[in-house]
Amino acid sequence: MALLNLSSPHHHSLNRTSRVMMWVLLATVPGLLAQSYWFGYGTLINLIWACVLAVGFEALVLWLRKRPIKPYICDGSALVTAFLLALALPPFSPWWLTLVAVLFAIVFAKHLYGGLGNNPFNPAMVGYALCLIAFPVSMTQWASTDTTLNLAQQWQWFWSETVSGGIDGYTQATPLDLMRHPKGLTLGELAATNPLLGLGLSASAWINAAYLVGGLGLLALRIFTWHAPVAMLVSLGLCAGLFHMGEPDLYPSASQHLLSGATMLAAFFIVTDPVTSATSRKGKLIFGAGVGLLVFIIRSYGAYPDAFAFAILLMNLAAPLIDTYTQPKAYGHQGNEKNER
Amino acid sequence: MGRIWPFHGGVHPPENKQQSNQSAIVPMPVPKQLVLPLNQHIGAPAKCLLEVGTKVLKGQLIASAQGFVSANLHAPSSGTISAIDERTLPHPSALVGPCIVIDTDGQDQWVDHAGIDPLSVDKAQLLQRIRSAGITGMGGAGFPSAVKLQAKNKINTLIINAAECEPYITADDRLMRQYSEQIIAGIQIIRQLLDQPTCIIGIEDNKAEAIAILSQALIGIDGIEVAVMPTKYPSGGEKQLIQILTGQQVPHGGIPADLGLVCHNIGTAKAIADAVLLGQPLISRVTTVTGKAAAKAGNYQVLIGTQVSDLMAFAEVDLAATSRLVMGGPMMGFTLTDHQVSVVKSTNCILASSELELAPVADHHACIRCGQCEVVCPAELLPQQLFWFAKAEEFDKAQSHNLADCIECGACAWVCPSQIPLVQYYRFAKGRVKTLHAETQLAEHARVRFETREQRLIDEKLAKEEKRKARAVAAAAAQAAKRAANPDAEDPIAAALARVNLQKQASASAKNATAEPPEDAYKALKTAAAITRTKLKKSSKALTDALASGHEQVESLQITVDQLALKANAAKAALSAYETKLGLDPEHEKQLQVAAAQAGAVVRKLEKSLATAQDAAAIEVDIVTAKAAHATANQALQAYQHQSTALQQQTQES
Repeated sequence: MALLNLSSPHHHSLNRTSRVMMWVLLATVPGLLAQSYWFGYGTLINLIWACVLAVGFEALVLWLRKRPIKPYICDGSALVTAFLLALALPPFSPWWLTLVAVLFAIVFAKHLYGGLGNNPFNPAMVGYALCLIAFPVSMTQWASTDTTLNLAQQWQWFWSETVSGGIDGYTQATPLDLMRHPKGLTLGELAATNPLLGLGLSASAWINAAYLVGGLGLLALRIFTWHAPVAMLVSLGLCAGLFHMGEPDLYPSASQHLLSGATMLAAFFIVTDPVTSATSRKGKLIFGAGVGLLVFIIRSYGAYPDAFAFAILLMNLAAPLIDTYTQPKAYGHQGNEKNER
Repeated sequence: MGRIWPFHGGVHPPENKQQSNQSAIVPMPVPKQLVLPLNQHIGAPAKCLLEVGTKVLKGQLIASAQGFVSANLHAPSSGTISAIDERTLPHPSALVGPCIVIDTDGQDQWVDHAGIDPLSVDKAQLLQRIRSAGITGMGGAGFPSAVKLQAKNKINTLIINAAECEPYITADDRLMRQYSEQIIAGIQIIRQLLDQPTCIIGIEDNKAEAIAILSQALIGIDGIEVAVMPTKYPSGGEKQLIQILTGQQVPHGGIPADLGLVCHNIGTAKAIADAVLLGQPLISRVTTVTGKAAAKAGNYQVLIGTQVSDLMAFAEVDLAATSRLVMGGPMMGFTLTDHQVSVVKSTNCILASSELELAPVADHHACIRCGQCEVVCPAELLPQQLFWFAKAEEFDKAQSHNLADCIECGACAWVCPSQIPLVQYYRFAKGRVKTLHAETQLAEHARVRFETREQRLIDEKLAKEEKRKARAVAAAAAQAAKRAANPDAEDPIAAALARVNLQKQASASAKNATAEPPEDAYKALKTAAAITRTKLKKSSKALTDALASGHEQVESLQITVDQLALKANAAKAALSAYETKLGLDPEHEKQLQVAAAQAGAVVRKLEKSLATAQDAAAIEVDIVTAKAAHATANQALQAYQHQSTALQQQTQES
């Protein structure tokens, strides 16, 4: 047998990109199930549609870019983008909304920047932010927790945005939205007068808990390090807690912040996106803390009820700068500053 | 038991040690031929002392160390030197290098040798003993051991590296189990040389039996302890081991001795004991042969210089089933594409792997910046950033991210989910950095030279200009003084012109009077000869000026002009001869005229070249031109002389 001439190391771990992506996909399942339990079949329909689109667009662009299609499709990164978009978009998204989001995420945010590994912005968040700006009405129509649409009705809504049978109240404002516009009431009064708020909060708490479980699983598998998610949650919790202590009537509590909206989804599945975040451990801490801070600011003072897309995109912009200033000290460089160039 | 500190990163590849650590070390019989590379160590290659055809005995010195960082080489068995030539070396690039080839005689006959009692000799003798035994680091790098035993700093701690963290390799493991007494004796010799530092033997916890045997042997011995460390690759890296055992980091750009530490491999300790106590130089070592293609995987006592092919045959390696032959371990070893290479002093393992055993060749994917490489990097670098910098050839950034601190352990590439051959990128970047550095130095050197030369030329030009101005001023002053002294004197140029006119008229009248063509030709020739002389004078003056302005190259011009002057004199003489006899053959007259005119032209050329020779930058070209002109002038003058001689003969005849 001809002897191979290769450079060391000659042994390799079984770790593969596709394995990383597969675990990320699997870890979203608890959240997906929780979301479907509370808001109906919308998310599932969206998910399948987004996956089809994402793989289709990915293959198309790879073909146009004359890149090998199979290995890049098999790495699962397009599916991860599709999953994250489908989970982040409202369950009542019509087909075209998902299409626009996925198109923009895969073609523009990912491949126009050079494909996997080269995109400065999280593709899913770019797609989401675009839709949030372009179609604010569709993007804020969040499903009501007492939705009783069956699969056929949901399917009909998905294609035509109407539902036969005239069911009312299939969408409602999210708890975060309600709390941002209390209509002159304190948060306490709001909770007392609007039963939907309590229900919405408990639903989103369950969903967030489900994402937390999935995220902890990934952490246990060492898919990513704890630095970015923990920094994000701590910084958001601290900001929320401090302001809530000062003005409890105006600012939701830390737990409400942490367990509502897309907090846990973002903390464990989006902030941890390795491509677009900072690289060193210290850098990841700063990156995560920055996201948490921006989320709190935008949630409290911004024009949008939830803020993850913008917070993450802003921090994506800052990631290279963070990297520049957080280069870790290499072995043998500790305590001898004068030797540093 | 000593404290164990953690080090950053590291990986846990499958150990695969059980294949080769089950049985005792097997001595391999003396092979028919031994090929000994002259450079098996870091530093200068050894110098061959013997000639082809010389008979050598086992342990005889055959090549001696050249310089401080170098090592002796001894014949591993008795036989005859059959060749000294270039052979393929055990090197990643399959380089060739000088080797001594010994055809063994099978007698394995020792040269006279004897051990000494280390306690009965002084340090210098002990060190000389180790140095002359040609002992180099047995762990892999092959640094001459004696150099590390002469520390300038006070050594407080001696670290013995018995980690053997690379998967598959078990040579040190078996060595410790079988030779614990010799190892400890070797350590004591090292301690004696380094003024009794405390000694820590660092062993990974996957070698329980070796730990037990060594600990047993150390009972009652002070100053040496065994430190058991968790198995984690690359704990056996010198810098990592130092951090594990002392909690200190070797400073960037420094050596362990800066911290009062010195690190030796456990195999080196054994080799030192053999050299001192038995008088045996380093002529054999324990090498692991393992891998799925090796039927008799195990450890072998192999003579240095044994061909890998012979060793593989002895260990019953199925060559047909071997897809990758690695010298060293799977993490840092290099592949051999030719098994006709030697086992050298640092060869700790031959890994003959089957096709499925080691990672197959895979296309690597895009880096997703997952950061797992950073998590495992024992040098605490940012491997992915280094990868991007190497790929983009941004070597300055790579350097500022401490590329030089990469120990090429391969942990990053091992863990990379995109299977990027990261270490290869770093080696590329390191090589380029080295090349660029050398190029920068060369360019800097050239720049300094160029600038110095430019400055020198400018200075010379300025000095020359100064001189010229001074001369012009002096000449003007002289002229003015002359005029002032003799205001009635006529203008020399006008006078000269008048003289020429007068001559013309005179010649015309003479011509009219005599109407003899030879007389006319004679005059023309005389004028031409006079012009030649004038030109020669002028060019001599120009030469003098050039000399005054200090051009070295003008010397050759001087010679040229001198020669020309001689020729001109000869011409004058010939002319005088001609003068004595008038009324000659008109044909000869014409030829002589032409020759004289040519000589004049040549001198003009020379004059011109002398004038342009003032420009120093073009001086060499001018010399060439002047020489060519001189040659032509010579020819012309020779013709002139020839003609003159002929003329004289004619005159005599007539």
